[in-house]
Amino acid sequence: MANSVHQQSDTNSGASSSTSLLKDVGSPPHDSAITHVTGKSEFIDDRPVVKGELHCGLVYSPFARARLKLLDLAPALQIAGVECAITAADVAHNMWGGIFADQPIIAAGETHFVGEVVAVLGAQSKESLAQGLAAVVAQWEKLPDIRSIDEAVAQESFIGHLRTISRGDAQAALKSSPRTLAGVLKIEGADHFYLESQAAIVYPREDGQLEVHSSTQHPTETQHVVAKACGIPFSDVVCVAKRLGGGFGGKETQASPFAAYAALVAKRTGRAARIVLTKDEDMIITGKRNPFQIHYECGFDDSGKILALDAMLYSDGGAYADLSTAIMERALLHCDNAYFIPCARLRGQVCRTNFHPHTAFRGFGGPKGVAMIECIMEDIARVIGRDALDVRKLNCYGSGRDTTPYGQLVENNCLPELFETLEKKCDYRARRDEINQWNNDIKRNPHAHPRGLSMTAVKFGISFSTRFMNQGNALVNVHTDGTLQVSTGAVEMGQGVNSRIAALVAEQFGLPIAAVRIMPTSTEKNANTSPTAASAGTDLNGSAAVIACEKIKQRLAALACALRGIAQEHWPTKTAGLGTWPEISIANGAHAFTVLPCGLFDGANAGGAGSNTKNKTLVEFRNSMVVVSEPAQPEFKIDFAQLVREAYFNRTSVSDYGHYATAHLTFDKIKGQGRPFLYFTQGVAASEVELDPYTGEIKVLRVDMLMDVGRPVNHALDMGQVLGGFVQGMGWVTTEHLVYNDNGLLVSHSPSTYKIPSVQDTPRIFNVDFIENLGNTVNVRATKATGEPPLLLSISVWTAVRDAIASARSNVSSELIPLAIPATAERVLRGLSPEMFAQWDAPSIP
Amino acid sequence: MRDFVLIYLNGVRREIRGREALMMLSDWLRKEAGLTGTKIVCAEGDCGSCTVLRAFPDLAAQPNFKGGANVGGHHATHIAPLEFEAMNSCIATVAQMDGSHIVTVEGMQCGDELSPAQVAMKNCHASQCGYCTPGFVMAISAMLEKHGGVVAAQHIDAKMAANYLTGNLCRCTGYAPIVQAALTVRATEKHSVAGRYSNTAAITDALNTAKKSLLIEHNGVKLFAPVSLREAVTFAAQNPGFQVLGAATDMGVQTNKGKPLPRVMLSLHLVNELYQAKQSRAGIVVGARVTLAQLRRLCETTAPELASFLNLFGSPQIKNVATLVGNIANASPIGDTLPFLLIAGAAVHVASRPGGKGPIHKRKIELTDLYVGYKKLALTPGEIITHVSFNATNSKELQRLYKVSQRKDMDISAISGAFSMTMAGRVKSSAVNATTHVGAHKTKSPLHVVSARIAFGGVAATPIRMPEIEAALVGDFTMEKAQTVAHMIARSITPLSDVRGSAAYRRVTAANLFMRYASEVLLA
Repeated sequence: MANSVHQQSDTNSGASSSTSLLKDVGSPPHDSAITHVTGKSEFIDDRPVVKGELHCGLVYSPFARARLKLLDLAPALQIAGVECAITAADVAHNMWGGIFADQPIIAAGETHFVGEVVAVLGAQSKESLAQGLAAVVAQWEKLPDIRSIDEAVAQESFIGHLRTISRGDAQAALKSSPRTLAGVLKIEGADHFYLESQAAIVYPREDGQLEVHSSTQHPTETQHVVAKACGIPFSDVVCVAKRLGGGFGGKETQASPFAAYAALVAKRTGRAARIVLTKDEDMIITGKRNPFQIHYECGFDDSGKILALDAMLYSDGGAYADLSTAIMERALLHCDNAYFIPCARLRGQVCRTNFHPHTAFRGFGGPKGVAMIECIMEDIARVIGRDALDVRKLNCYGSGRDTTPYGQLVENNCLPELFETLEKKCDYRARRDEINQWNNDIKRNPHAHPRGLSMTAVKFGISFSTRFMNQGNALVNVHTDGTLQVSTGAVEMGQGVNSRIAALVAEQFGLPIAAVRIMPTSTEKNANTSPTAASAGTDLNGSAAVIACEKIKQRLAALACALRGIAQEHWPTKTAGLGTWPEISIANGAHAFTVLPCGLFDGANAGGAGSNTKNKTLVEFRNSMVVVSEPAQPEFKIDFAQLVREAYFNRTSVSDYGHYATAHLTFDKIKGQGRPFLYFTQGVAASEVELDPYTGEIKVLRVDMLMDVGRPVNHALDMGQVLGGFVQGMGWVTTEHLVYNDNGLLVSHSPSTYKIPSVQDTPRIFNVDFIENLGNTVNVRATKATGEPPLLLSISVWTAVRDAIASARSNVSSELIPLAIPATAERVLRGLSPEMFAQWDAPSIP
Repeated sequence: MRDFVLIYLNGVRREIRGREALMMLSDWLRKEAGLTGTKIVCAEGDCGSCTVLRAFPDLAAQPNFKGGANVGGHHATHIAPLEFEAMNSCIATVAQMDGSHIVTVEGMQCGDELSPAQVAMKNCHASQCGYCTPGFVMAISAMLEKHGGVVAAQHIDAKMAANYLTGNLCRCTGYAPIVQAALTVRATEKHSVAGRYSNTAAITDALNTAKKSLLIEHNGVKLFAPVSLREAVTFAAQNPGFQVLGAATDMGVQTNKGKPLPRVMLSLHLVNELYQAKQSRAGIVVGARVTLAQLRRLCETTAPELASFLNLFGSPQIKNVATLVGNIANASPIGDTLPFLLIAGAAVHVASRPGGKGPIHKRKIELTDLYVGYKKLALTPGEIITHVSFNATNSKELQRLYKVSQRKDMDISAISGAFSMTMAGRVKSSAVNATTHVGAHKTKSPLHVVSARIAFGGVAATPIRMPEIEAALVGDFTMEKAQTVAHMIARSITPLSDVRGSAAYRRVTAANLFMRYASEVLLA
């Protein structure tokens, strides 16, 4: 199952590969693969312009905090082509929020971040819109603002309560620990940089209804926000999300207000309204990954075994709550990561600042807790003089040491196996020796490039930590030619959720995947859905689809059993409309049968099914046939499509709706105890980096990853999530730098200044592999979610950079390296050569 | 005089006038031509989602071009086939495409049959959300056009693939599957873009049309494309405040970000002589229309350090259209080629026709005299830059170009440096180690610097030479000397703090770039 992408170690050549992603060649392609490569996939802004359609533009605050003294829209309305202007006064219900409804859709009076919208214009063309926006008169009075976690803490400017998860008496355990270390870790945010910026089109329909097409991860919330903003019932809004040009969490909550802006314009004018942000606007206005500042103290013994951890996590929530409290919760739930911490006090507080409201981003707080504990692992190792991998293995969850600080048992624990296997596979020990030797040699040569190596782990909890969100629903329609249309609440944003659900459904009916079409996500088919987030899109929606399939299969199976005993000329298709044959009754269990299960549990359940059903009628859906078998009877086979037609003519429903609610979840948010997660996706990664001593630039020489993704539905799609998540995380920990000016404006608001990884930044050697694990029987088909977990493994790049800096400076002292995330070239160079900066950092330079 | 822009779009002739001619190509493709496969993400030429293929019939290479209209029929064999290259459609106006053949992602399929790049991207699972995908398809197709032929792939190695994909960003895949697609793609003759779209009649039509000057006027904005230098300088004299359009890779960005188009634009794309480039042992002369990609191919032996610098940095989409003269005229303090040109004794050659009458005046301005302030050039009104010349690299000098940026590639530099020293003697490498190790004793004869040239970008309002430091370098060269000079460099500059790095970082890296150079010199 290995993917090995070997790249030439040539100085400037990035990616490439000698061996291939061969395993994936057989995997079914993404359901949009062909329309993607031909450019025919339709995104929001690709929709044809309809007659009279308006473009929406935003008037927003240029200051972190300000009072809007005057807003005069009349000059804009005088521009030819500007058709309407919307302000807070026009919004029926002007508060929204993913958790707390604390954010105005359109602000009035005081504004709290750069980019906070105070007016929306609707205009006939982009040109008239630009002229209209330029003509708006707005006078602002700057107000005192908060632009750092430190300021917020000093002023006790907080969102939500202090959250605590604790086990034992951490402070006492720290006091009695033979050794302790303490530190402060600064982690900055990151932009999602989905390629399709926030976008929506709203079409007014008859009788006050609105049809919303939005690039949203959460169509239900978008429907609700639009309806409330417009003052109309939910039933008058349909929100459709066909596909997203990337989401990564950035469109979980924050897509909705933009749809509302277009809806307000559409409702006011009765004309279609389109809003498509430029990349610059999108980056300025929308929230990012929450910045964190973590103060920690860790107690351990001389072997490196952790005895206690006390951590205080502050996050920058920005101006409004958004999802920050839930993000903090997940950060606290991931402070242990792969390691058993007997005594822990983990506290978290979200700070309210004057930045854009920060929001979900792949990993959702998890990466922050994990960065802290992985950093502690490295530092313990340095303090006691052991290799960091040994310290990790010593502390890894294992038998008897397998309960998290919040009380969940770590079941199906693959972590020790993952560490052991990757250590061997990536030749960790020999490379560690080589790198030590290399770094020792170069101490005599100030021009050589220090190297670092680090292996980190991930144990990512799958489920929303808020229980009610762990539900999904699905509508499965079987058509009389034997093809299916499936609708769920899952939003396709590149991750391949459509293809996975199609595979699950196809497997249920024993059909080729091509027989299953996944329809655009729409609130008229699937209401009260959860966002496609928390890596759980397939788990929740795929499970719901399977439930719907099972219901349909029961009826089809019953019909098949009934048909078996009836001569073909009397089947419903032959008699329909003639009224000569009574309908076949399948309702009262006249034909006792068992439908054979599909998928993984074929093997697992075969014995059980066999013994229990020895004398029963068995019905199996396979190879586009339905097969009825019974001991001592000839097998009865009927073509799936024909059976569906018989069902239709027999007035038997071949459609159904499935609802799934994740079992076992018991987390008590107040006590900070219980089981928030159904299972954990796990993995390890070893990264090797080289630093440029002149510039601080980082080169990632090699990455080896090993993950437990359960039993993949589609190997290639999982591989895509793993490779992509890792590289996205690499950007967060290295080159992606959000720089704000003194007004609180993001100045790195486009790719010319905000640097996501390019092809040249990818690891020179990139080996990715999955272990076999069929044991995740709590989830559909024993799969495991793969969306977020691989991102957290990119932390190994950052710890490897710390390792390299520490090695390069180890002749100075055994100092610990205060390296923030992202480790920009400047930060790395400051880490390598702090003395060179000292003279220039002085306030006045001679 | 023409009032329409002529392009062939996916093989179909289009005449485009007025408002539409002044649109950005990507907007025009999406809104006017209804081809929404081309995506717009950054609108600044950084992400490659808007990549299309473009071929501009080589005016200079067409044997019949000067001779007149009689091309076609049995002369068809004399017409050079089109060479398609990738470019960003988001930062170029339609008018600049005049005479070009444009192929978008919609033009790649043969009927329902996917093109090789499309097949490879699909088979390698190289698209997830799909938004960057058409751009990558076009980038890989551009690689095939250059290196494909039918035998293709064995020549395409990882490094080449990555270089062709440098100008495209993807946020989903981590690139490995896309690189895999680029490595496994198999060209077919049937799908060759040049083969499919090198239609003799179309090329002839475009060439003939290109013999007529172009004037687009709309809403108070005027764009003129003359066919001769005389016409150009006459227009320049009669239209004060005109702006020359090169590739407009910067102007396109400014326009997309809200700055109106200049009211009077002069495009030199129909002026045959400005496509010329000459080189001799003494130096290189490059016309205003010569692209960075062409320059790189041209200067591989005469200025190898520049060639390898151009090879390593920048996206193909930009290098295929951006010109060296454009880089100079844009006068950015961080223009990538400027430190090199400063140490290579570059000069610009300008032309004007005062009053729009009489002969063409020409003069030469040393590059060191060209920049008089932030983005200010020492040109008089009505002057246009026609050529740039610079010295070939002397075999006795050791030249190095470096840039420091947050990301390795496709990033605007925080600082960049160009260094060159001519040495009197060389010491064998075994002796170098001895020299450096016991440098303090100076028992061995050290290297002797006869002359030195140093230039930096990103450390002041304009790219600068450092004459005092160059003077200080003359004499014996040791590691100690290098450290002293590095410190002088750090002290002599007055950089700013900005989004790309603090002032302190720029000072430290300016000194460090010199130290990198010094160590290469001493260890060479």
